[in-house]
Amino acid sequence: MKEIKENQKQAKKPYARPVLKQIALRPEEAVLGNCKTAGISGPVSTGNCAPGGPCSTQGS
Amino acid sequence: MMIELAEVEADTSRPRTSDARGLQLSIAGIKLALKSTDPTMKLGVTGASKLFLTEETACDATLSAAWGLLDEEALGQPLFDSGALWKLYRGEDDGFTLRFATPYLGERPYKLARFNHDFTQGEVLLHHPFFAQDQVLFPLEYPLDELWLLNLLARGRGAELHCSGIRDERGRGILFVGQSGAGKTTMSRLWEAEPGVEILSDDRIVLRSVEDGQYCMYGTPWHGEAELSSPEKAPLAAIFFLRHGERNHLRDLNRAEACARLFSCSFPTYYDAAGLDFTLQFFEQLTSAVPCRELSFVPEREAVELLRRF
Repeated sequence: MKEIKENQKQAKKPYARPVLKQIALRPEEAVLGNCKTAGISGPVSTGNCAPGGPCSTQGS
Repeated sequence: MMIELAEVEADTSRPRTSDARGLQLSIAGIKLALKSTDPTMKLGVTGASKLFLTEETACDATLSAAWGLLDEEALGQPLFDSGALWKLYRGEDDGFTLRFATPYLGERPYKLARFNHDFTQGEVLLHHPFFAQDQVLFPLEYPLDELWLLNLLARGRGAELHCSGIRDERGRGILFVGQSGAGKTTMSRLWEAEPGVEILSDDRIVLRSVEDGQYCMYGTPWHGEAELSSPEKAPLAAIFFLRHGERNHLRDLNRAEACARLFSCSFPTYYDAAGLDFTLQFFEQLTSAVPCRELSFVPEREAVELLRRF
């Protein structure tokens, strides 16, 4: 028993001060708010963008 | 449904129409049915979604499509505004309504999708004047298809990540997670040239728990810039969080950081507390079962070699 306690002592990790780490969120990517690819089958046959023009709402 | 798969695989640029009054998609093992009783509505599937068509008729969730004259009717309590194409409302019957509008067409919605409480049944209404008479339609057009699947996943089925993923020549599934610009497309193209390797997606992968604490990763129709998409799956062996670097280098991540980074690259149902709980638990269990590392890499084949030794 004493030996086990000794081993547990040795295995104990040294104290590490907690560190606050920020992970960036990108809401514009996470909420699927925009078209993913330009003009497929949406209204007026050109997706959700103006006919013939660049997609105004393309996103990730 | 008269679909010739060989033709579907050969050409994803043309819409595939359905002679029957419905079609079924299988994405990440979840079967979605789209039906219409309106003979004037020509249903079809566009883009990479054609690869996910299935003949199976037993479905997990079903949407009926119909024409409508959509107005600013009462949709229920506003739950979430994406800031762009869609908003979500909660109805008195505990159901949900997704409202789609685009600045190009004005304030009036071009599409409404009403769902029951668990997103397994519903109807999608298209504002008839906005659509050409003979137009072949895919009423699930993005982002409705992905939003529908995300809400089904959040109800105990799994999670979708912003990532690319491959099945290597040994059948192992390897995930490359990262927001836009992290290198998902670059990594996909590096692996694309490798014999025996299948790219499941260059932008979106669904993860689901399978038996014995294992996880499976599935390709989706929502590809990225490289337009790589596959309906195939693979057992998940490792997760790498991508970043461009000056040299190829792997760094171990603790579980807390891995969980946070998975969450930041997922598509959470922010409006659904139970769904968020499930998603966070899912990531917690995932990070205890699958090794997670950060990969700094240069866009050269050496990065592939480094991962092969892993």
